[in-house]
Amino acid sequence: MSGYLKLAGKNLLRHRTRSALTMLGIAASVGVLFSVLSFNKGFSEGLAVELERTGLHFMVVPSGCAHEVAALVLHGAVIPKFLDTKVMEHVTATAGIDLATPILVAQLPDPQRGEIDLIYGVDMSALSAIKPGWEITGKIPEHDNEILLGYEVAQHEKLQPGDRFSSSSDGINLVVAGIVGLTGSQDDAFVYLPIKTAQKLLDHPAAATAIGVKVKDPTRMVEITEALTAAVPGIQIVTMGEVMNSISNLAASARALSLAIVLIAILISAVGVMNSILMAVFERTQEIGMMRAVGASRRDIFRIILEETTILSLSGGLVGILISILGSRMIEAFVRSVMPFVPSGNLISFDPGVAAGSVLFIFVIGLCAGIYPALKASKINPVEAIKG
Amino acid sequence: MIELKHIEKSYHRGAEEVRALRGVDLSIVAGELLAIIGPSGAGKTTLLHILGCLDQPSKGEVLFDGVNTSNMSESELVQLRREKIGFVFQQFYLIPGLSVFDNIALPLLFSKKQASRSKIMALAEMVGLEHRLDHAPAQLSGGEMQRTAIARGLVNDPEILLADEPTGNLDSENSDKIYSLLRSLSQNGLATVMITHNTELAARAQRTVQIRDGLVHS
Repeated sequence: MSGYLKLAGKNLLRHRTRSALTMLGIAASVGVLFSVLSFNKGFSEGLAVELERTGLHFMVVPSGCAHEVAALVLHGAVIPKFLDTKVMEHVTATAGIDLATPILVAQLPDPQRGEIDLIYGVDMSALSAIKPGWEITGKIPEHDNEILLGYEVAQHEKLQPGDRFSSSSDGINLVVAGIVGLTGSQDDAFVYLPIKTAQKLLDHPAAATAIGVKVKDPTRMVEITEALTAAVPGIQIVTMGEVMNSISNLAASARALSLAIVLIAILISAVGVMNSILMAVFERTQEIGMMRAVGASRRDIFRIILEETTILSLSGGLVGILISILGSRMIEAFVRSVMPFVPSGNLISFDPGVAAGSVLFIFVIGLCAGIYPALKASKINPVEAIKG
Repeated sequence: MIELKHIEKSYHRGAEEVRALRGVDLSIVAGELLAIIGPSGAGKTTLLHILGCLDQPSKGEVLFDGVNTSNMSESELVQLRREKIGFVFQQFYLIPGLSVFDNIALPLLFSKKQASRSKIMALAEMVGLEHRLDHAPAQLSGGEMQRTAIARGLVNDPEILLADEPTGNLDSENSDKIYSLLRSLSQNGLATVMITHNTELAARAQRTVQIRDGLVHS
């Protein structure tokens, strides 16, 4: 270890509490910075993976707001608007379509249990094409009265495959055929029904909120969507790329706000570093005078003080990243509880590039915060300082 | 070795001009132990700072080995202090977080020299602290702290050691020890200048000068 670094470290240890608190301030802001950056990265990647997993190329929905569509497709909202039955006929009749499946998303009150279920009506034969990543305990429903439960619903209701699920406002007794394994996404909160059963429960025979479409040749997608839009009035076609953009745009403003807050936190911690080091410089005026007398140049003093801020910043940065990695599950759970859509999977994971970038950033900020106290210290007049 | 010619030093304290030194002539040669005495505010410390090239005179010349230091740049003065001058202070100014060893070696950090253990050991033995090298300053007595500070002042093999009231914070027994140490250093060829209020110690020095109202009276 260089003598300067050792001296700087020993100086910081003289006021352990003050140094520790200053370092923790940096750790907190770097931890949040790392979490936000990791989350942003994980969000984009997770979203892409999730959309990839749907196995669909585009959705046919009632014309309206694309954001609503995005929310619908990724299970975050319910749209009180249904597609006409004839749309399905048009879609299946269109050349180049490999798979077209109606989807009905709705909220359904269950007076017996006093709860509102989120139901997802789908053609069960198309389920493995729409959700290829699911792991199902039990089986995919084969009859109209069979259902599939999202992981959280099954946990909450303490249900197993074969159990009776009471959603019988219309006198239909539903039986649990299978339970979807934990996905970490909104999929966990749904009850999946055969679409005909869902339509019956909602009293909307043949209604759908969207039609999920997979084409035979993705390179012909533009041609197919144009043909569909021209042939069927009152529909809107949203490709998965557009859905991703819509959600990304929605999340972007939240991300911008959170980054702004992080930057303010970092600024505050930098001021804390400056204040802490400046106090130390004032306290050590006589000592700095002595060092000048025994041969330290102004540059030597500047270097010692700057190395103190460097130690604080780097140690704070590393501790912050460690804390955010250790607390990533908690942070992720919190974010999932407040954001309307979050893709499944681990959103905050250790990315060396993001970690190094965060530490480098706080290192530069720390250096900037240290320049003023270091300059101040280097300009101390040794004669005045020694006199006290 | 050091020659002061007609040194004047004045500074402002608010609107008042203070003439700390009013024309001091003084020569110090190698191996000499010089005691500077005088009442508070007479200009003793100002003189010591000028001798140590920490401060520049308002008028006059300081010749160090025949070289006029008033023409030197800041970096040249730093170099001169590193290589030729050792300082000892009344308040010791040891760094609390560093061991005795590291405190003694501190000036080597600035002169970019390796702190060889044998050299620090030799200095510690000379000041009687060889058994205290790993101790923190807070674990030392006042006399031990000052002996550490003297070893620190000697680590760069200076030509002159400047001590500002080195016994000012010590009892008579420790004062005696410090004085004996300074005397033995001067007997080994080191020019030593000591400011003191202790007239008994001053009387034992090789030469004593008195400063009164900014002027030297031999």
